[in-house]
Amino acid sequence: MTLTLAVPSKGRLEEMTRDWFAQRGLTITRPGGARSYLGAIEGIPDITVRFYPASEIARELIRGNIDLGVTGRDLIHETSEAGPASVEFARNLGFGGADVVVAVPDAWIDVTHMHDLADVASDFRSRHGRWLRIATKYITITRQHFAQAGIAEYRIVESLGATEAAPASGVADIVVDITSTGSTLAANGLRVLEDGVMLQSEANLIVSKTADWSKERRAVLDTMLVRLHD
Amino acid sequence: MTNPAYRRSQLESLVEAQGGCRATPPLLLKADPYFDLAGEEFGRRLLLTTDMSGAEYCLRPDFTLPIVADYIAQGAGEPAAFSYLGPIFRQRETGPAEFDQAGIELLAQPDGDIALDQVLTFARAALSLYGIVPQVHLGGVGLFEALLAQADMPDAWRSRIRHRFGHPEAMDRLLSRLEQAPEQKRSEQPSRDDLIEDVTARMVSAGLSLSDGRSPAEIADRFLEQQALDAAQVPATTLRLLRDYLSIKGDALAALRQVEALGEKHRLFLGAPIRAIRRHLDGLGEARVSFDAGFSPRLDYYTGIVFEMRGQGGSILVSGGQYDRLLERLGATAPIAASGCALWVDRLEAEGPK
Repeated sequence: MTLTLAVPSKGRLEEMTRDWFAQRGLTITRPGGARSYLGAIEGIPDITVRFYPASEIARELIRGNIDLGVTGRDLIHETSEAGPASVEFARNLGFGGADVVVAVPDAWIDVTHMHDLADVASDFRSRHGRWLRIATKYITITRQHFAQAGIAEYRIVESLGATEAAPASGVADIVVDITSTGSTLAANGLRVLEDGVMLQSEANLIVSKTADWSKERRAVLDTMLVRLHD
Repeated sequence: MTNPAYRRSQLESLVEAQGGCRATPPLLLKADPYFDLAGEEFGRRLLLTTDMSGAEYCLRPDFTLPIVADYIAQGAGEPAAFSYLGPIFRQRETGPAEFDQAGIELLAQPDGDIALDQVLTFARAALSLYGIVPQVHLGGVGLFEALLAQADMPDAWRSRIRHRFGHPEAMDRLLSRLEQAPEQKRSEQPSRDDLIEDVTARMVSAGLSLSDGRSPAEIADRFLEQQALDAAQVPATTLRLLRDYLSIKGDALAALRQVEALGEKHRLFLGAPIRAIRRHLDGLGEARVSFDAGFSPRLDYYTGIVFEMRGQGGSILVSGGQYDRLLERLGATAPIAASGCALWVDRLEAEGPK
Protein backbone atom coordinates (compact mmCIF):
# COMPACT_ATOMS: atom_id res chain seq x y z
CA MET A 1 0.00 0.00 0.00
CA THR A 2 2.82 2.43 0.68
CA LEU A 3 4.08 4.72 -2.07
CA THR A 4 7.73 5.20 -2.85
CA LEU A 5 9.02 8.73 -3.28
CA ALA A 6 12.56 8.92 -4.68
CA VAL A 7 14.69 11.91 -3.78
CA PRO A 8 18.16 12.73 -5.21
CA SER A 9 20.67 11.24 -2.84
CA LYS A 10 23.25 13.97 -2.57
CA GLY A 11 24.40 17.50 -3.15
CA ARG A 12 22.50 20.64 -3.91
CA LEU A 13 19.69 18.75 -5.59
CA GLU A 14 18.94 16.79 -2.40
CA GLU A 15 19.11 19.91 -0.29
CA MET A 16 16.83 21.96 -2.52
CA THR A 17 14.34 19.14 -2.89
CA ARG A 18 14.04 18.76 0.86
CA ASP A 19 13.74 22.55 1.22
CA TRP A 20 11.00 22.62 -1.38
CA PHE A 21 8.97 19.96 0.42
CA ALA A 22 9.64 21.64 3.79
CA GLN A 23 8.34 24.97 2.49
CA ARG A 24 5.08 23.15 1.80
CA GLY A 25 4.90 21.66 5.25
CA LEU A 26 6.30 18.22 4.44
CA THR A 27 9.47 17.35 6.27
CA ILE A 28 11.59 14.66 4.65
CA THR A 29 13.71 12.86 7.21
CA ARG A 30 16.85 10.84 6.59
CA PRO A 31 17.47 9.15 9.94
CA GLY A 32 20.69 7.41 8.96
CA GLY A 33 22.28 10.54 7.49
CA ALA A 34 24.03 10.75 4.13
CA ARG A 35 25.01 7.11 4.16
CA SER A 36 21.46 5.84 4.50
CA TYR A 37 19.20 5.41 1.52
CA LEU A 38 15.91 5.19 3.34
CA GLY A 39 13.80 8.04 4.70
CA ALA A 40 10.27 9.13 5.46
CA ILE A 41 7.93 12.11 5.42
CA GLU A 42 6.89 13.17 8.87
CA GLY A 43 3.21 12.51 9.44
CA ILE A 44 2.64 10.50 6.23
CA PRO A 45 3.38 6.87 7.06
CA ASP A 46 1.97 5.74 3.70
CA ILE A 47 4.98 7.15 1.87
CA THR A 48 8.47 5.69 1.97
CA VAL A 49 11.31 7.93 0.86
CA ARG A 50 14.30 6.48 -0.98
CA PHE A 51 17.47 8.34 -1.83
CA TYR A 52 18.78 7.52 -5.30
CA PRO A 53 21.14 9.12 -7.86
CA ALA A 54 19.08 11.36 -10.16
CA SER A 55 19.60 9.23 -13.27
CA GLU A 56 18.42 6.08 -11.48
CA ILE A 57 15.30 7.93 -10.38
CA ALA A 58 14.48 8.63 -14.03
CA ARG A 59 15.03 5.01 -15.03
CA GLU A 60 13.00 3.56 -12.18
CA LEU A 61 10.11 6.01 -12.75
CA ILE A 62 9.91 4.96 -16.40
CA ARG A 63 9.95 1.29 -15.44
CA GLY A 64 7.35 1.87 -12.75
CA ASN A 65 9.52 0.50 -9.93
CA ILE A 66 9.03 3.69 -7.96
CA ASP A 67 5.84 5.68 -7.85
CA LEU A 68 7.07 9.22 -7.80
CA GLY A 69 10.33 11.04 -7.60
CA VAL A 70 12.27 14.21 -8.11
CA THR A 71 14.67 14.42 -11.02
CA GLY A 72 15.52 16.53 -14.06
CA ARG A 73 13.29 16.58 -17.11
CA ASP A 74 16.40 16.00 -19.27
CA LEU A 75 17.01 12.62 -17.63
CA ILE A 76 13.46 11.44 -18.39
CA HIS A 77 13.91 12.35 -22.06
CA GLU A 78 17.38 10.84 -22.23
CA THR A 79 16.81 7.56 -20.42
CA SER A 80 14.35 6.22 -22.97
CA GLU A 81 12.47 7.39 -26.05
CA ALA A 82 9.36 6.22 -24.26
CA GLY A 83 10.34 8.21 -21.15
CA PRO A 84 8.12 11.29 -21.46
CA ALA A 85 5.09 9.11 -22.29
CA SER A 86 5.68 6.88 -19.27
CA VAL A 87 5.51 9.63 -16.66
CA GLU A 88 3.53 12.67 -15.66
CA PHE A 89 5.32 15.88 -14.75
CA ALA A 90 3.32 16.81 -11.65
CA ARG A 91 5.14 19.85 -10.25
CA ASN A 92 7.89 22.07 -11.52
CA LEU A 93 10.21 22.62 -8.56
CA GLY A 94 11.68 25.86 -9.89
CA PHE A 95 15.34 24.96 -9.51
CA GLY A 96 17.99 22.96 -11.34
CA GLY A 97 17.18 24.86 -14.53
CA ALA A 98 19.48 24.13 -17.48
CA ASP A 99 19.23 23.75 -21.26
CA VAL A 100 20.40 20.90 -23.43
CA VAL A 101 21.99 22.72 -26.36
CA VAL A 102 23.89 22.21 -29.60
CA ALA A 103 27.17 24.13 -29.60
CA VAL A 104 29.77 24.54 -32.34
CA PRO A 105 33.27 26.02 -32.28
CA ASP A 106 33.04 29.78 -32.25
CA ALA A 107 35.41 29.72 -35.23
CA TRP A 108 32.63 28.19 -37.35
CA ILE A 109 31.45 31.65 -38.36
CA ASP A 110 29.36 30.16 -41.17
CA VAL A 111 27.24 28.02 -38.83
CA THR A 112 24.62 29.93 -36.85
CA HIS A 113 21.53 27.71 -37.20
CA MET A 114 20.62 24.04 -37.37
CA HIS A 115 20.10 24.32 -41.13
CA ASP A 116 23.73 25.40 -41.51
CA LEU A 117 24.72 22.33 -39.56
CA ALA A 118 22.59 20.20 -41.90
CA ASP A 119 24.55 21.58 -44.86
CA VAL A 120 27.92 21.07 -43.19
CA ALA A 121 26.99 17.53 -42.12
CA SER A 122 25.74 16.57 -45.57
CA ASP A 123 29.09 16.87 -47.29
CA PHE A 124 31.35 16.43 -44.27
CA ARG A 125 32.22 12.87 -45.16
CA SER A 126 33.14 13.59 -48.76
CA ARG A 127 35.43 16.39 -47.56
CA HIS A 128 37.02 14.71 -44.57
CA GLY A 129 36.56 10.98 -45.07
CA ARG A 130 34.57 10.61 -41.89
CA TRP A 131 31.26 11.72 -40.42
CA LEU A 132 30.72 14.85 -38.43
CA ARG A 133 31.28 13.82 -34.81
CA ILE A 134 29.15 15.02 -31.93
CA ALA A 135 30.31 14.55 -28.35
CA THR A 136 27.48 14.18 -25.86
CA LYS A 137 26.05 12.20 -23.00
CA TYR A 138 22.56 12.95 -24.36
CA ILE A 139 22.38 10.26 -27.02
CA THR A 140 18.62 9.78 -27.16
CA ILE A 141 17.83 13.50 -27.13
CA THR A 142 20.45 14.21 -29.80
CA ARG A 143 19.15 11.51 -32.11
CA GLN A 144 15.57 12.71 -31.77
CA HIS A 145 16.38 16.35 -32.25
CA PHE A 146 18.71 15.82 -35.19
CA ALA A 147 16.17 13.58 -36.90
CA GLN A 148 13.60 16.35 -36.59
CA ALA A 149 16.10 18.79 -38.06
CA GLY A 150 16.65 16.44 -41.01
CA ILE A 151 20.28 15.74 -40.12
CA ALA A 152 21.28 12.11 -40.54
CA GLU A 153 24.96 12.32 -41.46
CA TYR A 154 26.78 12.34 -38.14
CA ARG A 155 28.22 10.05 -35.51
CA ILE A 156 27.79 10.34 -31.77
CA VAL A 157 30.84 10.03 -29.55
CA GLU A 158 29.66 9.22 -26.06
CA SER A 159 31.13 11.60 -23.55
CA LEU A 160 30.55 11.16 -19.85
CA GLY A 161 32.40 14.20 -18.58
CA ALA A 162 34.04 17.43 -19.73
CA THR A 163 32.11 17.28 -23.00
CA GLU A 164 32.97 20.91 -23.69
CA ALA A 165 36.63 19.91 -24.12
CA ALA A 166 35.92 17.36 -26.85
CA PRO A 167 36.45 19.67 -29.88
CA ALA A 168 39.80 20.92 -28.58
CA SER A 169 40.99 17.43 -27.77
CA GLY A 170 40.04 16.29 -31.27
CA VAL A 171 37.51 13.71 -30.08
CA ALA A 172 34.57 15.44 -31.77
CA ASP A 173 33.72 18.43 -33.95
CA ILE A 174 30.77 19.80 -31.99
CA VAL A 175 28.93 19.06 -28.75
CA VAL A 176 25.47 18.59 -27.32
CA ASP A 177 25.69 19.53 -23.68
CA ILE A 178 23.72 20.85 -20.74
CA THR A 179 24.31 24.39 -19.60
CA SER A 180 22.63 26.90 -17.34
CA THR A 181 24.55 30.03 -18.27
CA GLY A 182 26.60 29.00 -21.28
CA SER A 183 29.77 30.26 -19.62
CA THR A 184 31.57 26.89 -19.60
CA LEU A 185 30.86 26.47 -23.29
CA ALA A 186 32.00 30.01 -24.07
CA ALA A 187 35.18 29.52 -22.04
CA ASN A 188 35.96 26.56 -24.30
CA GLY A 189 35.43 28.52 -27.48
CA LEU A 190 32.01 27.04 -28.19
CA ARG A 191 28.88 28.90 -29.26
CA VAL A 192 25.27 27.74 -28.89
CA LEU A 193 23.38 27.81 -32.20
CA GLU A 194 20.59 30.38 -32.39
CA ASP A 195 17.99 27.63 -32.62
CA GLY A 196 20.18 25.16 -30.76
CA VAL A 197 18.20 24.72 -27.53
CA MET A 198 16.90 21.15 -27.69
CA LEU A 199 15.35 20.87 -24.27
CA GLN A 200 14.70 23.18 -21.32
CA SER A 201 15.12 21.18 -18.19
CA GLU A 202 14.21 21.79 -14.57
CA ALA A 203 13.86 19.65 -11.48
CA ASN A 204 10.38 18.15 -11.47
CA LEU A 205 8.23 16.10 -9.17
CA ILE A 206 7.37 13.25 -11.49
CA VAL A 207 4.72 10.54 -11.20
CA SER A 208 5.24 7.20 -12.91
CA LYS A 209 2.38 6.19 -15.19
CA THR A 210 3.65 2.62 -15.41
CA ALA A 211 3.53 2.02 -11.64
CA ASP A 212 0.60 0.11 -10.21
CA TRP A 213 -2.09 2.70 -9.40
CA SER A 214 -4.82 1.09 -7.36
CA LYS A 215 -7.59 3.32 -6.05
CA GLU A 216 -6.08 3.42 -2.57
CA ARG A 217 -2.60 4.28 -3.80
CA ARG A 218 -4.00 6.96 -6.10
CA ALA A 219 -5.79 8.48 -3.10
CA VAL A 220 -2.55 8.69 -1.11
CA LEU A 221 -0.87 10.36 -4.09
CA ASP A 222 -3.68 12.86 -4.62
CA THR A 223 -3.71 13.84 -0.97
CA MET A 224 -0.01 14.55 -1.09
CA LEU A 225 -0.14 16.44 -4.39
CA VAL A 226 -2.86 18.70 -2.98
CA ARG A 227 -0.58 19.57 -0.08
CA LEU A 228 2.17 20.39 -2.54
CA HIS A 229 0.18 23.09 -4.31
CA ASP A 230 1.98 26.38 -4.55
CA MET B 1 -3.35 -26.67 -47.46
CA THR B 2 -3.17 -22.98 -46.73
CA ASN B 3 -1.77 -23.02 -43.24
CA PRO B 4 1.08 -20.72 -42.15
CA ALA B 5 3.72 -23.48 -42.30
CA TYR B 6 2.76 -24.27 -45.89
CA ARG B 7 2.91 -20.63 -46.91
CA ARG B 8 6.28 -20.33 -45.24
CA SER B 9 7.61 -23.25 -47.29
CA GLN B 10 6.16 -21.64 -50.43
CA LEU B 11 8.02 -18.45 -49.58
CA GLU B 12 11.20 -20.48 -49.02
CA SER B 13 10.81 -21.98 -52.49
CA LEU B 14 10.16 -18.59 -54.06
CA VAL B 15 13.31 -17.19 -52.44
CA GLU B 16 15.29 -20.26 -53.58
CA ALA B 17 13.93 -19.92 -57.10
CA GLN B 18 15.37 -16.46 -57.64
CA GLY B 19 18.13 -18.00 -59.69
CA GLY B 20 20.90 -16.40 -57.75
CA CYS B 21 22.87 -17.32 -54.75
CA ARG B 22 21.15 -17.87 -51.42
CA ALA B 23 22.97 -15.55 -49.04
CA THR B 24 23.41 -16.37 -45.34
CA PRO B 25 25.53 -13.65 -43.77
CA PRO B 26 26.57 -14.15 -40.11
CA LEU B 27 24.21 -13.10 -37.34
CA LEU B 28 26.92 -11.16 -35.56
CA LEU B 29 28.29 -8.29 -37.63
CA LYS B 30 30.57 -5.32 -37.06
CA ALA B 31 28.42 -2.34 -36.09
CA ASP B 32 30.63 0.34 -37.57
CA PRO B 33 29.69 -0.17 -41.25
CA TYR B 34 26.02 0.34 -40.35
CA PHE B 35 26.73 3.59 -38.54
CA ASP B 36 28.94 4.64 -41.42
CA LEU B 37 26.33 3.90 -44.03
CA ALA B 38 23.08 4.85 -42.36
CA GLY B 39 24.08 7.08 -39.46
CA GLU B 40 22.70 7.40 -35.95
CA GLU B 41 19.08 7.39 -37.07
CA PHE B 42 19.37 3.74 -38.09
CA GLY B 43 22.01 3.08 -35.44
CA ARG B 44 19.53 3.55 -32.63
CA ARG B 45 17.64 0.52 -33.90
CA LEU B 46 20.65 -1.80 -33.62
CA LEU B 47 21.06 -4.43 -30.91
CA LEU B 48 24.62 -3.80 -29.88
CA THR B 49 27.23 -5.73 -28.02
CA THR B 50 30.98 -5.37 -27.50
CA ASP B 51 33.80 -7.87 -27.59
CA MET B 52 36.71 -8.06 -25.15
CA SER B 53 38.69 -5.43 -27.03
CA GLY B 54 35.75 -3.04 -26.90
CA ALA B 55 34.91 -3.33 -30.60
CA GLU B 56 31.21 -2.93 -31.26
CA TYR B 57 29.12 -5.62 -32.89
CA CYS B 58 25.44 -5.79 -33.72
CA LEU B 59 22.98 -8.55 -34.38
CA ARG B 60 22.32 -8.60 -38.13
CA PRO B 61 19.86 -5.72 -38.68
CA ASP B 62 19.47 -6.25 -42.43
CA PHE B 63 20.82 -8.41 -45.24
CA THR B 64 21.67 -5.83 -47.87
CA LEU B 65 24.82 -4.44 -46.30
CA PRO B 66 26.63 -7.74 -45.56
CA ILE B 67 25.62 -9.16 -48.96
CA VAL B 68 26.85 -6.12 -50.86
CA ALA B 69 30.00 -5.72 -48.75
CA ASP B 70 30.89 -9.36 -49.36
CA TYR B 71 30.22 -8.97 -53.09
CA ILE B 72 32.62 -6.02 -53.21
CA ALA B 73 35.24 -7.91 -51.24
CA GLN B 74 35.10 -10.76 -53.77
CA GLY B 75 35.90 -8.28 -56.54
CA ALA B 76 32.81 -6.48 -57.75
CA GLY B 77 31.87 -6.16 -61.40
CA GLU B 78 30.24 -9.38 -62.57
CA PRO B 79 26.42 -9.41 -62.58
CA ALA B 80 25.16 -11.21 -59.50
CA ALA B 81 21.86 -12.01 -57.85
CA PHE B 82 21.34 -12.86 -54.20
CA SER B 83 18.26 -13.87 -52.29
CA TYR B 84 17.72 -14.31 -48.58
CA LEU B 85 15.23 -15.30 -45.91
CA GLY B 86 16.09 -15.27 -42.24
CA PRO B 87 15.97 -13.41 -38.95
CA ILE B 88 17.06 -9.83 -38.48
CA PHE B 89 17.19 -7.83 -35.27
CA ARG B 90 16.03 -4.28 -34.69
CA GLN B 91 14.72 -2.32 -31.74
CA ARG B 92 11.09 -1.53 -32.44
CA GLU B 93 8.38 0.30 -30.55
CA THR B 94 6.06 -2.67 -30.86
CA GLY B 95 6.71 -6.29 -31.64
CA PRO B 96 9.72 -8.46 -30.83
CA ALA B 97 13.20 -7.28 -31.80
CA GLU B 98 13.82 -10.48 -33.76
CA PHE B 99 11.82 -11.03 -36.94
CA ASP B 100 12.23 -12.52 -40.39
CA GLN B 101 13.00 -10.67 -43.55
CA ALA B 102 13.17 -12.01 -47.09
CA GLY B 103 14.41 -10.27 -50.20
CA ILE B 104 16.62 -10.10 -53.25
CA GLU B 105 19.62 -8.06 -54.31
CA LEU B 106 20.42 -7.68 -58.01
CA LEU B 107 23.86 -6.26 -58.58
CA ALA B 108 25.65 -5.04 -61.71
CA GLN B 109 22.79 -6.12 -63.95
CA PRO B 110 23.19 -4.87 -67.54
CA ASP B 111 19.69 -3.33 -67.63
CA GLY B 112 18.50 -1.54 -64.51
CA ASP B 113 14.88 -1.42 -65.71
CA ILE B 114 14.70 -5.16 -66.24
CA ALA B 115 16.32 -5.71 -62.85
CA LEU B 116 13.71 -3.52 -61.17
CA ASP B 117 10.95 -5.41 -62.97
CA GLN B 118 12.37 -8.62 -61.60
CA VAL B 119 12.37 -7.13 -58.09
CA LEU B 120 8.75 -5.98 -58.42
CA THR B 121 7.70 -9.37 -59.79
CA PHE B 122 9.35 -11.14 -56.88
CA ALA B 123 7.62 -8.86 -54.38
CA ARG B 124 4.22 -9.34 -56.03
CA ALA B 125 4.70 -13.12 -56.15
CA ALA B 126 5.57 -13.21 -52.46
CA LEU B 127 2.51 -11.15 -51.53
CA SER B 128 0.23 -13.30 -53.64
CA LEU B 129 1.34 -16.36 -51.64
CA TYR B 130 -0.43 -14.65 -48.76
CA GLY B 131 -3.38 -13.63 -50.90
CA ILE B 132 -2.50 -9.96 -50.64
CA VAL B 133 -3.20 -7.45 -53.40
CA PRO B 134 -1.07 -4.55 -52.23
CA GLN B 135 -1.21 -0.83 -52.64
CA VAL B 136 1.99 0.09 -54.41
CA HIS B 137 3.54 3.42 -53.61
CA LEU B 138 6.13 4.70 -56.09
CA GLY B 139 8.66 7.48 -55.69
CA GLY B 140 10.88 9.00 -58.34
CA VAL B 141 14.35 9.85 -57.10
CA GLY B 142 15.67 10.05 -60.66
CA LEU B 143 12.71 12.19 -61.66
CA PHE B 144 13.31 14.68 -58.86
CA GLU B 145 17.04 14.82 -59.59
CA ALA B 146 16.28 15.52 -63.27
CA LEU B 147 13.87 18.29 -62.34
CA LEU B 148 16.29 19.78 -59.84
CA ALA B 149 19.15 19.76 -62.34
CA GLN B 150 17.09 21.77 -64.84
CA ALA B 151 15.23 24.15 -62.53
CA ASP B 152 16.42 27.73 -62.66
CA MET B 153 18.38 28.55 -59.50
CA PRO B 154 21.89 29.35 -58.29
CA ASP B 155 23.85 26.09 -58.42
CA ALA B 156 24.80 25.99 -54.77
CA TRP B 157 21.16 25.67 -53.79
CA ARG B 158 20.67 22.42 -55.71
CA SER B 159 22.62 20.19 -53.33
CA ARG B 160 20.97 21.84 -50.35
CA ILE B 161 17.52 21.12 -51.75
CA ARG B 162 18.48 17.60 -52.84
CA HIS B 163 19.74 16.88 -49.36
CA ARG B 164 16.26 17.52 -47.92
CA PHE B 165 14.40 15.34 -50.43
CA GLY B 166 12.46 12.66 -48.57
CA HIS B 167 12.20 14.72 -45.38
CA PRO B 168 9.04 16.81 -45.95
CA GLU B 169 9.42 18.94 -42.81
CA ALA B 170 13.04 19.87 -43.49
CA MET B 171 12.20 20.56 -47.15
CA ASP B 172 9.26 22.73 -46.16
CA ARG B 173 11.42 24.71 -43.75
CA LEU B 174 14.04 25.32 -46.44
CA LEU B 175 11.51 26.37 -49.08
CA SER B 176 9.77 28.67 -46.59
CA ARG B 177 13.08 30.25 -45.76
CA LEU B 178 13.81 30.79 -49.44
CA GLU B 179 10.34 32.22 -50.04
CA GLN B 180 10.83 34.73 -47.26
CA ALA B 181 14.37 35.67 -48.24
CA PRO B 182 14.47 39.39 -47.54
CA GLU B 183 15.74 41.92 -50.04
CA GLN B 184 18.53 43.14 -47.86
CA LYS B 185 21.54 45.13 -48.79
CA ARG B 186 24.71 43.25 -48.00
CA SER B 187 27.35 45.05 -46.06
CA GLU B 188 30.85 45.14 -47.51
CA GLN B 189 32.29 41.60 -47.65
CA PRO B 190 35.55 40.99 -45.85
CA SER B 191 38.20 39.48 -48.11
CA ARG B 192 38.76 35.72 -48.08
CA ASP B 193 42.28 36.18 -46.70
CA ASP B 194 41.03 38.31 -43.83
CA LEU B 195 38.36 35.74 -43.03
CA ILE B 196 40.83 32.87 -43.04
CA GLU B 197 43.10 34.84 -40.75
CA ASP B 198 40.23 35.59 -38.40
CA VAL B 199 39.00 31.98 -38.33
CA THR B 200 42.53 30.66 -37.84
CA ALA B 201 43.01 32.98 -34.88
CA ARG B 202 39.77 31.80 -33.32
CA MET B 203 40.65 28.16 -33.84
CA VAL B 204 44.11 28.55 -32.39
CA SER B 205 42.82 30.36 -29.33
CA ALA B 206 40.26 27.58 -28.76
CA GLY B 207 42.94 24.94 -29.16
CA LEU B 208 41.36 23.40 -32.27
CA SER B 209 43.38 21.46 -34.80
CA LEU B 210 43.68 23.35 -38.09
CA SER B 211 43.99 20.20 -40.18
CA ASP B 212 41.79 17.54 -38.59
CA GLY B 213 38.17 18.37 -39.35
CA ARG B 214 37.03 21.65 -40.86
CA SER B 215 39.88 23.90 -41.93
CA PRO B 216 39.89 27.71 -41.78
CA ALA B 217 39.72 27.87 -45.59
CA GLU B 218 36.68 25.57 -45.69
CA ILE B 219 34.89 27.66 -43.08
CA ALA B 220 35.74 30.95 -44.77
CA ASP B 221 34.66 29.62 -48.16
CA ARG B 222 31.34 28.36 -46.88
CA PHE B 223 30.81 31.66 -45.05
CA LEU B 224 31.33 33.59 -48.29
CA GLU B 225 29.21 31.11 -50.20
CA GLN B 226 26.46 31.51 -47.63
CA GLN B 227 26.59 35.28 -47.98
CA ALA B 228 26.45 34.92 -51.74
CA LEU B 229 23.55 32.48 -51.47
CA ASP B 230 21.57 34.81 -49.28
CA ALA B 231 22.02 37.43 -51.98
CA ALA B 232 21.44 35.01 -54.88
CA GLN B 233 17.83 34.16 -54.45
CA VAL B 234 16.01 31.24 -55.92
CA PRO B 235 13.45 32.70 -58.36
CA ALA B 236 9.87 32.67 -57.10
CA THR B 237 8.75 30.64 -60.13
CA THR B 238 11.27 27.91 -59.26
CA LEU B 239 10.06 27.80 -55.67
CA ARG B 240 6.49 27.48 -56.93
CA LEU B 241 7.62 24.72 -59.29
CA LEU B 242 9.18 22.81 -56.38
CA ARG B 243 6.13 23.29 -54.17
CA ASP B 244 3.77 22.24 -56.98
CA TYR B 245 5.91 19.26 -57.87
CA LEU B 246 6.33 17.99 -54.31
CA SER B 247 2.58 18.21 -53.67
CA ILE B 248 1.77 15.83 -56.56
CA LYS B 249 0.46 12.63 -55.09
CA GLY B 250 -2.18 10.10 -56.02
CA ASP B 251 -3.11 7.57 -58.68
CA ALA B 252 0.07 6.93 -60.66
CA LEU B 253 -1.22 7.65 -64.16
CA ALA B 254 -2.97 10.86 -63.16
CA ALA B 255 -0.01 11.98 -61.04
CA LEU B 256 2.47 11.37 -63.85
CA ARG B 257 0.26 13.39 -66.22
CA GLN B 258 0.39 16.22 -63.69
CA VAL B 259 4.18 15.95 -63.61
CA GLU B 260 4.24 16.08 -67.40
CA ALA B 261 2.04 19.16 -67.49
CA LEU B 262 4.19 20.86 -64.89
CA GLY B 263 7.31 19.97 -66.86
CA GLU B 264 5.85 21.43 -70.03
CA LYS B 265 4.81 24.60 -68.27
CA HIS B 266 8.35 25.13 -66.99
CA ARG B 267 10.03 23.82 -70.15
CA LEU B 268 11.77 20.90 -68.43
CA PHE B 269 12.83 17.66 -70.09
CA LEU B 270 11.43 14.95 -67.85
CA GLY B 271 10.48 12.44 -70.55
CA ALA B 272 13.07 9.77 -69.77
CA PRO B 273 12.47 9.44 -66.01
CA ILE B 274 8.68 9.59 -66.50
CA ARG B 275 8.85 6.84 -69.14
CA ALA B 276 10.98 4.76 -66.79
CA ILE B 277 8.24 4.88 -64.15
CA ARG B 278 5.40 4.23 -66.66
CA ARG B 279 7.20 1.17 -67.99
CA HIS B 280 6.82 -0.54 -64.62
CA LEU B 281 3.13 0.20 -64.15
CA ASP B 282 1.99 -2.57 -66.54
CA GLY B 283 3.86 -5.22 -64.61
CA LEU B 284 2.07 -4.37 -61.40
CA GLY B 285 -1.19 -5.94 -62.55
CA GLU B 286 -4.30 -5.33 -60.54
CA ALA B 287 -2.49 -3.69 -57.65
CA ARG B 288 -3.46 -0.09 -56.94
CA VAL B 289 -0.47 2.07 -57.79
CA SER B 290 0.08 5.58 -56.55
CA PHE B 291 2.91 8.00 -57.16
CA ASP B 292 4.10 10.46 -54.56
CA ALA B 293 6.53 13.06 -55.90
CA GLY B 294 8.01 13.76 -52.48
CA PHE B 295 8.49 10.13 -51.46
CA SER B 296 12.04 8.88 -51.03
CA PRO B 297 14.02 7.03 -48.37
CA ARG B 298 16.21 9.42 -46.45
CA LEU B 299 19.40 7.71 -47.60
CA ASP B 300 21.09 9.45 -50.49
CA TYR B 301 22.35 6.29 -52.20
CA TYR B 302 18.90 5.65 -53.66
CA THR B 303 18.54 6.48 -57.35
CA GLY B 304 15.96 5.95 -60.08
CA ILE B 305 12.73 4.51 -58.71
CA VAL B 306 11.84 3.52 -55.15
CA PHE B 307 8.73 1.74 -53.92
CA GLU B 308 6.75 0.50 -50.97
CA MET B 309 3.92 -2.02 -50.92
CA ARG B 310 1.29 -1.83 -48.22
CA GLY B 311 -1.49 -4.16 -47.22
CA GLN B 312 -5.02 -3.42 -46.08
CA GLY B 313 -3.76 -2.58 -42.60
CA GLY B 314 -1.59 0.17 -44.04
CA SER B 315 1.68 -1.23 -42.72
CA ILE B 316 4.62 -1.50 -45.11
CA LEU B 317 5.03 -5.09 -46.30
CA VAL B 318 7.79 -4.58 -48.87
CA SER B 319 10.17 -1.74 -49.54
CA GLY B 320 12.83 -1.46 -52.17
CA GLY B 321 13.99 0.21 -55.32
CA GLN B 322 17.16 1.15 -57.13
CA TYR B 323 20.28 2.22 -55.28
CA ASP B 324 23.06 2.65 -57.77
CA ARG B 325 25.13 4.77 -55.38
CA LEU B 326 25.22 2.16 -52.61
CA LEU B 327 28.18 0.11 -53.83
CA GLU B 328 30.42 3.12 -54.16
CA ARG B 329 29.42 4.11 -50.67
CA LEU B 330 30.63 0.75 -49.46
CA GLY B 331 33.96 0.99 -51.20
CA ALA B 332 33.44 -0.08 -54.83
CA THR B 333 35.74 1.88 -57.10
CA ALA B 334 33.26 2.36 -59.94
CA PRO B 335 29.49 2.93 -60.05
CA ILE B 336 27.59 -0.38 -60.02
CA ALA B 337 23.88 -0.74 -60.63
CA ALA B 338 21.91 -2.22 -57.76
CA SER B 339 18.28 -2.89 -57.01
CA GLY B 340 16.36 -5.04 -54.61
CA CYS B 341 13.72 -5.20 -51.97
CA ALA B 342 13.06 -6.49 -48.47
CA LEU B 343 9.85 -8.18 -47.29
CA TRP B 344 8.62 -7.96 -43.72
CA VAL B 345 7.69 -11.59 -43.26
CA ASP B 346 6.08 -11.15 -39.84
CA ARG B 347 3.77 -8.48 -41.24
CA LEU B 348 2.91 -10.68 -44.24
CA GLU B 349 1.97 -13.48 -41.89
CA ALA B 350 -0.14 -11.14 -39.79
CA GLU B 351 -1.84 -9.70 -42.87
CA GLY B 352 -2.49 -12.93 -44.77
CA PRO B 353 -5.32 -15.40 -44.05
CA LYS B 354 -4.96 -17.27 -40.77
